[in-house]
Amino acid sequence: MSSGAEGGAHVNEAAGVASATSVFAADEEIGQDLAAVDWAATPIGEPSEWPQSLRTAVSILLSSRFSMWMAWGDGLTFFCNAAYRRDTLGQKYPWALGRPASEVWEEIWEDIGPRIDRVLATGTATWDQGLLLFLERSGYPEETYHTFSYSPLRDDLGAVVGMLCVVTEETDRVVGERRMATLRDLGSNPSVARTEQEMLEFTASQLDHNRWDLPFTLTYLFDDDSGARLAATTGIAAGHPAAQLHLTAAQSPGAWPTTAPSEGESVLVDLDAATWGALPTGAWQQQPTQALLVPLQQQGAAPVGFMVAALSRYRPLDEGYRGFIDLVAGHVATGILSARSYQAQQRRAEELAALDRAKTTFFSNISHEFRTPLTLITGPVQELRTRLADAEPSVREELEVIHRNGLRLGRLVNSLLDFSRIEAGRMTARYEPVDLAAVTTELASVFRSAIQRAGLAFEVDCPTLPELVYLDRSMWEKVMLNLLSNALKFTFDGSITVRLGVEDNHAVLTVTDTGVGIAETEMPRLFERFHRVERSRSRSREGSGIGLALVKELVGLHGGTITATSTEKQGTSFTIRLRFGHAHLPAQAVVEDPTTTATSASAEPFVQEALRWLPADATADPAQTGANEDDLSSLERARAATGGGRDLPAYVLIADDNADMREYLTRLLRGVGHQVQAVADGQAALEAIRVHVPELVVSDVMMPRLDGLGLVAALRADGRTATVPVLLLSARAGQESSIQGFDAGADDYLVKPFSAAELLARVRAIIELARLRARHSRWRTALIDSLQEGFFVCDADGSVVEINTTFTEILGYGPEELPYRTPSPWWPDPEIDPHAYERVGQAFTRLVEDDSGEADLPLVHHDGHQVWARFTFSRVEDPATGNHVIVGTLRDVTAEHYTLQRDTALAALAERLAAADTVSSAVQAAVTELRRTWSAQRVVLAAFPETATGRASEPDLVAGSDHVQWHQLAPDLRERLLAVSQAPLLVPQTDQPGRVGVTAAYPGGVLVVWIELGGRRPVGAEDRALLSLLADRLGQGLHRVREIDQQREAAVALQHAILGPAHLPAGFAVRYQPAMRPLQVGGDWYDTVPLPHDRLGIVVGDCVGHGLDAATVMGQLRSACRALLLEHSHPARALAGLDRFAALLPGAECTTVFCAVLDPASGELVYSSAGHLPPILVLAEGTTTSLDGGRGIPLGLRLDRPRVQDSMTIPARATLLLYTDGLVERRRRALDEGIARASCAVHDGRTHPVEELASHVMTTLTPTGGYEDDVALLLYRQPGPLDVTFNAAPSELAPVRHALRNWLTRCDLDAQYVNDMLLAVGEACVNAVEHGHRGHPGGVVQLHAIALPDQVCVRVVDSGSWKAPDAEATARAHRGRGIALMRGLMHQVTIAPTESGTTVEMYVRIPT
Amino acid sequence: MTTPLTLHTDRHADSRPLLTAHGEIDMTNVESFRAALTAAVAEGGPVVVDLTGVVYLDSGAINALFAHAEDLHLICSPLLLPALRICGLTELATIETPGTGA
Repeated sequence: MSSGAEGGAHVNEAAGVASATSVFAADEEIGQDLAAVDWAATPIGEPSEWPQSLRTAVSILLSSRFSMWMAWGDGLTFFCNAAYRRDTLGQKYPWALGRPASEVWEEIWEDIGPRIDRVLATGTATWDQGLLLFLERSGYPEETYHTFSYSPLRDDLGAVVGMLCVVTEETDRVVGERRMATLRDLGSNPSVARTEQEMLEFTASQLDHNRWDLPFTLTYLFDDDSGARLAATTGIAAGHPAAQLHLTAAQSPGAWPTTAPSEGESVLVDLDAATWGALPTGAWQQQPTQALLVPLQQQGAAPVGFMVAALSRYRPLDEGYRGFIDLVAGHVATGILSARSYQAQQRRAEELAALDRAKTTFFSNISHEFRTPLTLITGPVQELRTRLADAEPSVREELEVIHRNGLRLGRLVNSLLDFSRIEAGRMTARYEPVDLAAVTTELASVFRSAIQRAGLAFEVDCPTLPELVYLDRSMWEKVMLNLLSNALKFTFDGSITVRLGVEDNHAVLTVTDTGVGIAETEMPRLFERFHRVERSRSRSREGSGIGLALVKELVGLHGGTITATSTEKQGTSFTIRLRFGHAHLPAQAVVEDPTTTATSASAEPFVQEALRWLPADATADPAQTGANEDDLSSLERARAATGGGRDLPAYVLIADDNADMREYLTRLLRGVGHQVQAVADGQAALEAIRVHVPELVVSDVMMPRLDGLGLVAALRADGRTATVPVLLLSARAGQESSIQGFDAGADDYLVKPFSAAELLARVRAIIELARLRARHSRWRTALIDSLQEGFFVCDADGSVVEINTTFTEILGYGPEELPYRTPSPWWPDPEIDPHAYERVGQAFTRLVEDDSGEADLPLVHHDGHQVWARFTFSRVEDPATGNHVIVGTLRDVTAEHYTLQRDTALAALAERLAAADTVSSAVQAAVTELRRTWSAQRVVLAAFPETATGRASEPDLVAGSDHVQWHQLAPDLRERLLAVSQAPLLVPQTDQPGRVGVTAAYPGGVLVVWIELGGRRPVGAEDRALLSLLADRLGQGLHRVREIDQQREAAVALQHAILGPAHLPAGFAVRYQPAMRPLQVGGDWYDTVPLPHDRLGIVVGDCVGHGLDAATVMGQLRSACRALLLEHSHPARALAGLDRFAALLPGAECTTVFCAVLDPASGELVYSSAGHLPPILVLAEGTTTSLDGGRGIPLGLRLDRPRVQDSMTIPARATLLLYTDGLVERRRRALDEGIARASCAVHDGRTHPVEELASHVMTTLTPTGGYEDDVALLLYRQPGPLDVTFNAAPSELAPVRHALRNWLTRCDLDAQYVNDMLLAVGEACVNAVEHGHRGHPGGVVQLHAIALPDQVCVRVVDSGSWKAPDAEATARAHRGRGIALMRGLMHQVTIAPTESGTTVEMYVRIPT
Repeated sequence: MTTPLTLHTDRHADSRPLLTAHGEIDMTNVESFRAALTAAVAEGGPVVVDLTGVVYLDSGAINALFAHAEDLHLICSPLLLPALRICGLTELATIETPGTGA
């Protein structure tokens, strides 16, 4: 409806206004225009004649403020009111008034027509809701939505005659709902969008649903550098010019301005096509013309970015539209900010967690860092105290100070470590059932002497409880010792009481003192970590503030509680409650087997420290204190227990990264007589162990490269070291560490700090046990090492886990690197020698899959040389594990292998050379053999001849595995070959890896043998030796072949020289084939002799014998026969003469000869045969006969016996075959059969020209493996071809025609064929003469005609051009007719013009 | 050397001009044949050309015959017939071969 109308063409200005006034009065303006309509021209006529119903309807219409129009009558004449004009009709007013409604709304009639029809037909109302219309009421096509209601209008009689349409605009509702939906969706689900990117993607997917209001959007986020990067888009393709990924602050055409948004201002950008080009149109047909850039605001800071919202060109940018976009931008901004803040929180949380982890790690590490030096302090001090027991008191006192502080430090470290473990959740408790009364009494007793010495009463009241309590003993010790030392510390008078009882199914332990007590204000923080309770008086100012906190944690781990009550100056009481049984404890940490360990050494530091608080006189002599005395004498006791410690020297390996610790341990162990080697880490230990297996390994747990646990695992994984005992030393106290150690397979575990005595006692016990175990395996090892063959054991996947010394000798790999995984280091390199690699790989597959087997394999020694080894293996079951292992032996068979290879190669080469009959075939055979011997990638042999000026720079013979010519070889290879050719004979040249060249003797020069092994496969000494040997044999072989070859060539050359005429008469074809191997030169020959009267002598003969002798005889007989025929022209007489000659010539007897005289013009043949095989005659139509007349015996046998002759006429187009017995004779086959085969071959091939027929016969009759005897063959076809050469002159035409007519007559053709042929050839000759005449005065024309059994072919060749000058139109017409004649008369004509002349070929088929 | 050809002009039994040729007609003598033919036609009316004695005639000769084909009655050996047919002369001229009639 946006289309404009041709305003008011039908309006009749002169229409009667008066009559209309009343009808149209309801609206003055519209009424005037309605009155102006020429109503008479409409179907409803003048208003004065309108029915009342119409008048009423018009009146209602005009008076209504609702937008409406109506249609009346059959023509649906159009009326509308002012509101409709304004909202809908627009520029169609007033043109539309009085028009048919279908014309007014032609463009949408398809839609509304049916509705109106339905209203008119049924009389019921209908409506369209929210119909999208583009109205140009504001100067641009505007997106509007209207609801139309269609009601029927009735005439005075009640019949439906018209329709009223009321229009309600709903644009604001529809557009508003749409925008609301977008805003609602935007806010719908931000919870899934955690990251900024997720949020942007979610937002984009929502915005993309509203391409009406947002044809496309771009969200840019500001970078730090004041530029902006594209973060999200909707409705626009990536890479679109308007969707630049980065924007800079500098404004440029076609880029969005960033300055204003960055300052928090919105910008309206005109999207003119010149600047912005084609843009996405969103849901519309046309692209937007404006875009609004709105900043993405954040509270109290610069915008984070901005959004480009392309605006619908169909909606005004009113307040609603702008507000909508602002809200969208607000949503996006909020989303981005919340995602960013979420991520910031996330990061902070992660940082805190990392900090926590770092702290825990730090505490764990501290344990190691402190414990090792502590051990090195307390250990030596302990020894010094013993050794200096008699030293002066001041020294001893100082030692005691060191000793005590060492212990104290150790206790602090342990407490700290316990905390860190508890925090990290790594404190692994081991709850075991204990008699709490016994355990508590025992722990209390440790403190008894110290408490008594302090002058306090110590009451322990621990009756046995009715049930067992599950405790982690080490933890419980700490609890008790802390409480007791605490009580002692703050009690100066009175007593300390430990009491155990039962209360509400709980075990209740109280430790009560009568000390200084704790102020009430301090009570709440009593168990707080690092909080030191201020007390009026204490035995010591020392204290870390962690003792009670640790106690509380430990009790908590037992599911128990600890409470304290205290009254200042009266004392303190701690009460611990523990449940009986273990239901409240984690099941996996509960064990039913109690350990039998007595109170551990951890008590000592507590006691020692407590003693220090007591008055000095009480502790003056540490040796007098019971606790100390026990401890100090421990080393002595240990030594006593080991019988002085010097009776079982063993080889012990120490692994510790702390040098002091290494020295200390070394000193200790050497001190009792052991042999000690110390290394700094697990890897070094592993290497040392593989060289020399120790009887004991003492290893620290924490070490660089390979730690103690890893070392144990590696040792246990290796069959050779699986039984080596290991004593682990660890700074990590606690059961979880020792369990780890035992799990890994350690034999014993000692926690630092440890006493020297304890270490030595354990070492002794371990070694004794191990010696018992090891006796058996040492015997086995000794046995295997004594084997003369290499021995190995593989596990099920083929890794070599054990080898003996012979194995190491053969392959150079020792036990240090065990296990050897596949592919083992002795496998050939797949790059260097893929062939060998594949071979070994296949053998390995069998090793893993088969039960047993054997293989000879090319392996690589540690030093790089190739070793041929014979493997035998079989699968056995490992009794220890039940797994399959593979046990095998290997033997070095390198020497055997090369001997065998040499013999095989020499034999094969000799055989191939013997089979070769020429030098070149021998060389080619050698290439094949050399390539096979080495499985070489390429072999090239090149023979460089010796010339007068030295060695030629180019070989006269090249043979290679890839059939190359010298010039096809790569230049660098040619250079190499040339270089090698200068080297001394038989000395292999190996300048490049994997390539070797050598020179061998060669007849008249030198032969270069070049071998490329492929890859970088090394050329070993054996290879070089073998190559020299083979090259030598090759040289000798070639020499021999060359000699035989030369002899044969000489004989063949001679035979050819004396064999037959150099030029055959026309119509003949001959073949002579010397026999193939074994070398034979037969005495066969053929001959044609020109005789007087245009006749021809024809001879075929066969002398007895082989070689040069027979050839000599043949030559003489042939010459004699020629002479005799020239003299007599009479075959019988010639043969008679030859008889006499043969009688005189040694070796000529028994020669068979067929001798004939032919008249080519008539085909008459007179012939005589001296015992020769009868010639075969095949007629044109295929009849085959033989020439059996004129027979006689072979030459020189009966001189008195007359020779006879016979005659016959060879029919036109018949073929005559003369031959010697080599053609037809076959071993163990009848001669007749051979002759029949020859007849058949000629018969089948008779339509070929004789030259082709000769080849056909020779090929067809060739036996498998070639002819065994010489073959001479002579074919003749009657008549011979016609060859005429004449000057290109018209006067020559008649004689040529005459000659052709004669020849055609001899061809025995039908007169019509003769005539047609003459005419066609005559036309060709005329053309040839004309051209020859014109283009080349003195040119010649050649006519060649041949007769075949089934056709006659003619060729005319001239030296001119058939291209006629245009001027000679007549001549062209003439020639055109000539060519048409040729084509019409012949079966086929081809005209081939070339630069130098024109050749016309034609033939005519003859029925046979 | 000119190819042997004899030409004889006469009147046929039915008084039509008669040209009798003997020998061979090729490019060396076709002009005399053409002249004789033209002369015979000039005498008016259909001309009988007896080529029975002609053992060879090439396309040049056939061209000469074409010039007056409609006025010719040819008598020739059947051997020549294929050539005349191929050139289309049989379409224009009356050709008679001995034994077969017109």
